[in-house]
Amino acid sequence: MEKGKISALQMAIMMYPTIVATAILGVPSITAKYAQNDLWLAPIFASFIGYVTVYIAYKLHKLYPKQSVIQFSEYIIGRFLGKILGFLYLFFYIQVTGEIIREYAEFIVDSFLVRTPISVIMASMAFLCAFIVYGGIEVIARAAQLFFPLFVFPILILIILVLPDFEFKNIFPILADGIWPPMKGAIVPGGWFTEFFMIIFLLPFIKDRKKGMKYGMITAFAVMMTLVVVNLVVLFVFGPATASKVYPLMNVARYISIAEFFEHFESVVMAIWIVGTFIKISVFYYVTALSTAQWLNLSDYRPIVWPIGILLVVFCFWSIPNTLEIERFNIGVFPLYGFIVQTIIPLLLVVMAVFRKRKSKETV
Amino acid sequence: MEKGKGRLFMKNILLLILICGVTLIVSGCWDRVEVNDLAIVTAAAIDKKDDNQIELSLQVFIPKALSGGGSEGGGGMSGGGAVTMVASHKGSNISDALSKLQSEFPRRVFWGHCKVFIFGEKLAKAGIQEHLDFLLRHPQPRERAYVYVSEGKAKPILELLAPLERYSAEGLRELSDLHIGMKVTLQDLDEKLIGIVQAAALPIVDIHPPGKGQEKLQGEPYIAGTAVFKKDKMIGNLTEKETRGILWIRNEIEAYTVTFKPGAEKGEISINPIKASVKLVPEIRNKKWIMVVKIDTEGTIIQNGTNLNLSSPKSIKVVEKAFEKEIEKRIELAFQQTQQELKTDILGFGEEFSRKYPDKWKKNKGRWNEIFPEIELETEIKAHIRRQGYITKPGGMPEKEVKEQ
Repeated sequence: MEKGKISALQMAIMMYPTIVATAILGVPSITAKYAQNDLWLAPIFASFIGYVTVYIAYKLHKLYPKQSVIQFSEYIIGRFLGKILGFLYLFFYIQVTGEIIREYAEFIVDSFLVRTPISVIMASMAFLCAFIVYGGIEVIARAAQLFFPLFVFPILILIILVLPDFEFKNIFPILADGIWPPMKGAIVPGGWFTEFFMIIFLLPFIKDRKKGMKYGMITAFAVMMTLVVVNLVVLFVFGPATASKVYPLMNVARYISIAEFFEHFESVVMAIWIVGTFIKISVFYYVTALSTAQWLNLSDYRPIVWPIGILLVVFCFWSIPNTLEIERFNIGVFPLYGFIVQTIIPLLLVVMAVFRKRKSKETV
Repeated sequence: MEKGKGRLFMKNILLLILICGVTLIVSGCWDRVEVNDLAIVTAAAIDKKDDNQIELSLQVFIPKALSGGGSEGGGGMSGGGAVTMVASHKGSNISDALSKLQSEFPRRVFWGHCKVFIFGEKLAKAGIQEHLDFLLRHPQPRERAYVYVSEGKAKPILELLAPLERYSAEGLRELSDLHIGMKVTLQDLDEKLIGIVQAAALPIVDIHPPGKGQEKLQGEPYIAGTAVFKKDKMIGNLTEKETRGILWIRNEIEAYTVTFKPGAEKGEISINPIKASVKLVPEIRNKKWIMVVKIDTEGTIIQNGTNLNLSSPKSIKVVEKAFEKEIEKRIELAFQQTQQELKTDILGFGEEFSRKYPDKWKKNKGRWNEIFPEIELETEIKAHIRRQGYITKPGGMPEKEVKEQ
């Protein structure tokens, strides 16, 4: 089905923008709504979900090294239930990918291409991603490697440039209302951390298999650090006004002004966003196409890449009617939805699989 | 074999042409905006009209005036012709007025370079929240634009033809960058109004009337004090002198010279504060809320009108003491005014208390308006004079008269 091989490091480089790209833009303000000036603590709590998810995914992978969740769930809970569960995953990834494409397009339309039809933006991104998915996992990994510096360095430069506008005292008082507000704030970024479960689809193609777990954990840690830093930057610049912004990092970039001529940096954020979501959508798209093929027992996933692309764009319209709905989905639906599908169900699968293996050993 | 190679070559060439062709059409057709279709707004003023309407005035850049200026000996820039024009229209709110204005305008209004927003005094007293919403929500206006309140109507400020700068808003912005008066951006204002004490301060702009021989519109806008906002409504103002005290507490002092009488001496000394570090330390002692203002400042002597020889350490001590006293006086004057007259916490004391005493703050959150007028101010000021300029003894004074101490 997929003959390409990637290294564990490449997997990490693919996963990092996959989680961070969308999380740095909208999530800080959602977190701030619940955690106020403790918003920077939220990703630390949320990251535990990430570590647990990586661990579960790796455990499952060790039990069934050559297969993805679509395939081995049939072994664990039987063919019929396995197919139903597989369909659930399929549906989950198609819908979430549609939501991500929509979120990307809404941001572009909202702040830059105001009069461009949103379908054009979504379709062109889906089209581009279809090419890279068609190329296979190695191509995605190489592209991620190529774009990784373009994604990370602008963020660093942005932070350095906005340094003069920091109001460090905005961070105080720390934990004035106890531990509860940042815990509540951690729920939404927690949803993002559950996406680490996707490594289950990538792990079978890794050359240095033993490092899979290590790099998964490193990625989760890197994502956590990035979110903490971004949240702090936003807090230092905007203080109590953070929660009222839709895309706080965007406003931070607009706020940069050095020596009166070094300003108007929002295009940098746009570049980060496009590069990041390009990788993100590609990985999600790939996972969707691959799992569909596995679910249908096809010998290759390539023939269904284009039809799925059309389905994804259609799902952008079906699942989300406007930006308010995106926020509602991100706050109210995805944390629980993602957590159940990508952490709880896999956990149950691990438990059942271990139990089953032990039992079968005893009978033998 | 040869044929196959040739075909491949042709294929690649065709592909290359195709890709180059595609780049021509994928560069964003819908949102293509030519610069010569834009009306670049350099400043905006919002006034309240009697019939519950507002008047939006835009200072718009005239590109022709700049490009044509060259042949007329730079006439466009040197005060002859204006490089901006002012267009205004009434409406029920900013967006309504803007759309009406747009319908009479051949170019699309572009806010991206608007760095000055001026609220008319009447409007400021009625409340600015709904107008702020437009400026923060719209993707074009910058969060870093400066916000002002005008003395009287705001529109005349835009109409001025400032002789020094290219247009009046530019002059105003430069003044703010020099830290004359308070410097408040749209973002700062939003933060203050959202924040826990919900009070803000904005600089007030007035017009310096044109001098003799100048044309009627050649006045200069200048910053005449501070407007004090409780929630989104202006409730009073501080004079220029009081504003300086506020600037000391907010650590924004940069451009003002401090002139004072040192001790019992005759004459005055002027000092230019070079840098100051200001710390606000809130304390609650026996249920009394006390704010300790700790200032550590350095200055340079720029004029000595006394007969003190400032190169002797003793007299420097005297001057430093007097400098400290002067700063204290200014701060107390400003604090008196904000605390007793206006009863509005524009200094951010509430935030400081909430940071240091989160528990006590939570209990007394609703009573802040009662607590604030009761707060005691303590000052701990340390002033240092680091440099005395190019001469040691008072300039142009015979040796005998200089007091050595």
